[in-house]
Amino acid sequence: MTCEVIVLYFARSADLAGVRTETISVPQQLTSLQLWDEIVKRHSRLAAIQDQVVFAVRQEYVLLGDQLLVLHTGDEIAIIPPVSGG
Amino acid sequence: MNGIGDEPKDFIKLSEEKLSADAVSALVISPCCGAVSLFIGTTRNNFDGRRVKQLEYEAYAPMVEVEIKKICTNIRLKWPSVKHIAIHHRLGTVPISEASVIVAISSPHRAESLDAVQYCINTLKATVPIWKKEVYEEEYSWKENKECFWAKTVK
Repeated sequence: MTCEVIVLYFARSADLAGVRTETISVPQQLTSLQLWDEIVKRHSRLAAIQDQVVFAVRQEYVLLGDQLLVLHTGDEIAIIPPVSGG
Repeated sequence: MNGIGDEPKDFIKLSEEKLSADAVSALVISPCCGAVSLFIGTTRNNFDGRRVKQLEYEAYAPMVEVEIKKICTNIRLKWPSVKHIAIHHRLGTVPISEASVIVAISSPHRAESLDAVQYCINTLKATVPIWKKEVYEEEYSWKENKECFWAKTVK
């Protein structure tokens, strides 16, 4: 089963992807690292920041790794490079 | 003791407008408090000897609100006497020397609000999804806060 999720790109990840938001189709259940791989398949330049990025899944931080995600159509996934507020 | 009719409040705002320290500190004034502590982060005109023209901020706005609310909750757990908390962050282009962030916190006595302001700005820099782009004469660079644990910048 797949679902349609909304991916948001910020800061350097938006520069590398060349897009700020898009909807992609992904398996409903996958690990956060598999989700990253799905996204890098679309935007290969993002591979450069793999070890300096985390996700926000439904506005909660998730590290790239073995964590299993259960996604639903309409979920928001943000690509979060190191933050620099303040 | 909390003053009647002056329940603790959190004021969180993202704005493309110029920030005002007077306005932010006025939000947290309380008749039962003897201290307002304030932090103002301003934009610098240089980095590593290079001239910075301006800074540009962007944010994942709805999540900024969620993360700043978590900071406010933790401040109230750590310093229960803290009264009001105001955190304003500017977005978009911020000219040199203008404020990018202002934190104001009130408490009956100064020690709690001073400590809480320090905790607030340190945690904001570590966890809140806001990004700063330094714009130089002919290029730019995305900054990374050293407080952010997934930053791996070699310094």
